[in-house]
Amino acid sequence: MHIPDGFIPLWQCAIYFAVTVPFILASLKWASKEMDELKVPLLATLAAGIFAIQAMNLPIPWGTSGHMVGAVMAAIILGSPWAGVLLLTLVLLVQGFVFADGGITTLGVNILNMGIISCFVGYYSYEGFKKLGTKIVAASFIGAWLGLFVSALVCAVELWLAGTFPLVEGLYFMGLYHAVIGVIGEGVITAIVIGVVLNLRPDILPSERKVSA
Amino acid sequence: MSKKTLMVGIAIALLIAGLAPFLASSNPDGLESAAEKFSSAEGMDYVAFNSPMPDYAIEGMGRTGEVLAIMIGTLLMLVMAYGAGMILKKA
Repeated sequence: MHIPDGFIPLWQCAIYFAVTVPFILASLKWASKEMDELKVPLLATLAAGIFAIQAMNLPIPWGTSGHMVGAVMAAIILGSPWAGVLLLTLVLLVQGFVFADGGITTLGVNILNMGIISCFVGYYSYEGFKKLGTKIVAASFIGAWLGLFVSALVCAVELWLAGTFPLVEGLYFMGLYHAVIGVIGEGVITAIVIGVVLNLRPDILPSERKVSA
Repeated sequence: MSKKTLMVGIAIALLIAGLAPFLASSNPDGLESAAEKFSSAEGMDYVAFNSPMPDYAIEGMGRTGEVLAIMIGTLLMLVMAYGAGMILKKA
């Protein structure tokens, strides 16, 4: 879902930067309050892991592929959507500047889609489903899928506003591809990781810490 | 405890990084596939910045270069996020 340079007019890119920067600042503020002996290594390894897994495109039908975004997984493990915003900002900076994956002029919009929208939608869906009594692993699957799917639809609308994609077909294809990527690339991997953490190191998960304390 | 977390995390990340070039699908991703359907999105790709390792590869190094590129990126992420975390922890 990395939008390359040239897909969005510069004046629109500027608007997306203006929207995104306050969120990045808020994520830095969150980190300055929350970082401790456990969360610094978690943040570092999640950044490395998310970068590596984003380089692994999984095949889906229609000659297409897709990869995990990982913002929701990071938010669940670190207990805040701001963690996802901070991590995806770092990952997208490195991907854009070092590996030409995602544009530079489109950094703002890419952080908005993958860091902010996918993460907030996914994390709060996860929290909502958990409150309704859904088990953590199932809730993390649903949250991860919703985060990716909704951000793909928003991405289609942005590309329509940019004059790059037609609206209906854009929504159709972006929605279709990412509905599938959301299952295998995002939902399943997030659920497995959360399941493993829950079994091996439940103390890491903030929601579990509160229960046992 | 945090040291062990760090080591396990690094090991997993590097394992994924090492496998990615061999397992990853080279098909276009969801957004690229969608873009191929629309003539309005054709030829819009331009380069705003010359990245040192475009497309997770090092020129002339083939598969080895891909493994190296992703490993370098993974370690760079680790150092950047650890550094940011330590600075923000003190802030």
